[in-house]
Amino acid sequence: MGSVLALSSGAANGTWPFSPDTPPSRWDTHPAHWDRPPRWERRDGRLPNPGSFHSLHRSCKDVFPQQIEGVKMTVNKTLSSFFKASHTFHLSAVSPSYYRFHTEHLQDDQYSKDKDAPALIGEMDSSGSLNAHSLIHLTEGVRARAVFQSQQSQFVTWQFETEYRGSDFTAAVTVANPDVLRESVILVAHFLQSVSSGLVLGGELVYHRGRAEEGGILTLAGQYSRPNWVATLNAGKGGAHASYYHRANKQIQVGVEFEASTRTQETTASFGYRMELPEANMVFRGMVNSRCIIGGVLEKRLTPLPATLIMGAFVNHRGDKLQVGLGVNVG
Amino acid sequence: WPVALTQMGSVLAASSPAPAVNPAGGGAHGAGLGSFPPGFGMPSLSPVSPPSGQAAEDADNPLQNPGTYEECHRKCKEVYPMQMEGVRLVVNKGLSNHFQVNHTVNLSTIAESGYRFGATYVGTKQIGPAESFPVIVGDMDNTGSLNSQIIHQLTSALRTKIAIQTQQQKFVNWQCDLEYRGVDFTSAVTLGNPDILVGSGILVAHYLQSITPALALGGELVYHQRPGEEGAVTSLIGRYTGENYVATLTLGGAGAHATYYHKANEQLQLGVEFEANMKMQETTTSVGYQVDLQKANLLFKGTVDSNWMVGATLEKKLLPLPLTLALGAFLNQRKHKFQCGFSVTIG
Repeated sequence: MGSVLALSSGAANGTWPFSPDTPPSRWDTHPAHWDRPPRWERRDGRLPNPGSFHSLHRSCKDVFPQQIEGVKMTVNKTLSSFFKASHTFHLSAVSPSYYRFHTEHLQDDQYSKDKDAPALIGEMDSSGSLNAHSLIHLTEGVRARAVFQSQQSQFVTWQFETEYRGSDFTAAVTVANPDVLRESVILVAHFLQSVSSGLVLGGELVYHRGRAEEGGILTLAGQYSRPNWVATLNAGKGGAHASYYHRANKQIQVGVEFEASTRTQETTASFGYRMELPEANMVFRGMVNSRCIIGGVLEKRLTPLPATLIMGAFVNHRGDKLQVGLGVNVG
Repeated sequence: WPVALTQMGSVLAASSPAPAVNPAGGGAHGAGLGSFPPGFGMPSLSPVSPPSGQAAEDADNPLQNPGTYEECHRKCKEVYPMQMEGVRLVVNKGLSNHFQVNHTVNLSTIAESGYRFGATYVGTKQIGPAESFPVIVGDMDNTGSLNSQIIHQLTSALRTKIAIQTQQQKFVNWQCDLEYRGVDFTSAVTLGNPDILVGSGILVAHYLQSITPALALGGELVYHQRPGEEGAVTSLIGRYTGENYVATLTLGGAGAHATYYHKANEQLQLGVEFEANMKMQETTTSVGYQVDLQKANLLFKGTVDSNWMVGATLEKKLLPLPLTLALGAFLNQRKHKFQCGFSVTIG
């Protein structure tokens, strides 16, 4: 979602690795997917494009279960080949219950390689909170994205990003929350370069400016991929984030993640695994945390019906709290 | 489980809460075990509504034993779903025809999580096709709380039960009761928490008489004594059984309780309940229904309440494995409280 916000509060976020509700958009899919030709095998021998900076840790994060709570029912409806809508009802014990309407308009773009890349995503809550993304392919290598997020009547995020994908590098500039009246802005610049067939190096520079202060943080990133595993490291003055993803066989994937933040002076180590049983239409994700959090989420497709049942529980042994969630996805 | 000594129900009914597990699950092991859950229900003997095929046999004996006093409202209450919260894992293991143990691990969102071990022993004196006595049921918590019951059939008409409940090291409930089943009546006497040193105790007397094959009338007298005060509450009960319905009404000094149970077809059962409490000056009406799809191994129970409470439970047997999955959620609209939970029962 908001890349800058994720970075500035990411490592220190108490609810990590529980991602926000909107699933990661397909624009940021990690290129090294096992069902497509691996990205380092390009036929012409040139180095492949390294993807975007946000998706460096994505394959490890996909292994971990998302925290679910209460009862959630999602009805997905495909209205036409490029228009999708979904309704979500959430009944929760700890937060107010809501209804959310989500709609996606896909774009059949001659520039975009993945034909169903959503161009417009909009989401509105029963309390009036809005979440809007739009993506435009300006030319073959240049993409522009705008994100707006509001909490009821107040805007919390408005950011604009431009990304250029060269043959073996990616460069992106993001302007987040520019506010002329308060004279504040956050600028982020990303750069990733494929150095060899498995190695990607890059960096991120965050510059924030307010009325009374300004500052910059530089973070260096590196990623090494092999057919079965991916290791990624982000290190800088704000902290470090290291992740290791390993695919043991077709059914089991394992992820280990370590996060350290200098701002909150905390470190967290997590271990997660994902088990897929396609014959049983089942996916199980489990995780153990150094904050004494243990969680597991089970997803099962109920095959004659177009429905998926999700059951999950998270236990925080240190605080002695348990959260249980049930979900049904229809369509 | 805490004991609630209500003025409406008897002590016996109060100390036997419905268990969290599918009642049918506990009776699967051994021919000797009765069809009661591994919790605390008294084994139910004769069904409440006599099957229509027995009309010819009733020529000499038109009236049948009406069952016990507590069972009058039970058929309607069994239709309602139970509130579930947190995660529960129950493992039932039958060690022999006479002995069964169960382990329960409960992770709870609102209460303490814990482990509970329970054992059930069924004796060798066989009375009917599914009932044997004595029955000894015991249950211990990881905090040391104990629940135990001994039920024994002394003669063909006389049955006795002793129940003891402790909360960690303190005894909270100890009672003994005696029940006599005549040809067309049932009478029972219960002595609850008798304490000679303090001079307190509760005495409950029940009487239920079949007036016609469909109508049963009876009464209950609860007498309690404490140092300094004593009191008694009486209630009258009437139950009418039709071909596929049962209507019961209890009227007493403490209020009124009316239930109606209707079996629409093999799959759908309905219950409507009305309760009025004079002491708290409030009334509650609730509607519950149960859909039993045997072919899909599915049991769904739903309820709507006049306290703006909506709840449902779904139980499904995952068949090749001896596993039962139960999901449940309750929503109290007025207080904006929501509870959901699921449980897995093995064996």
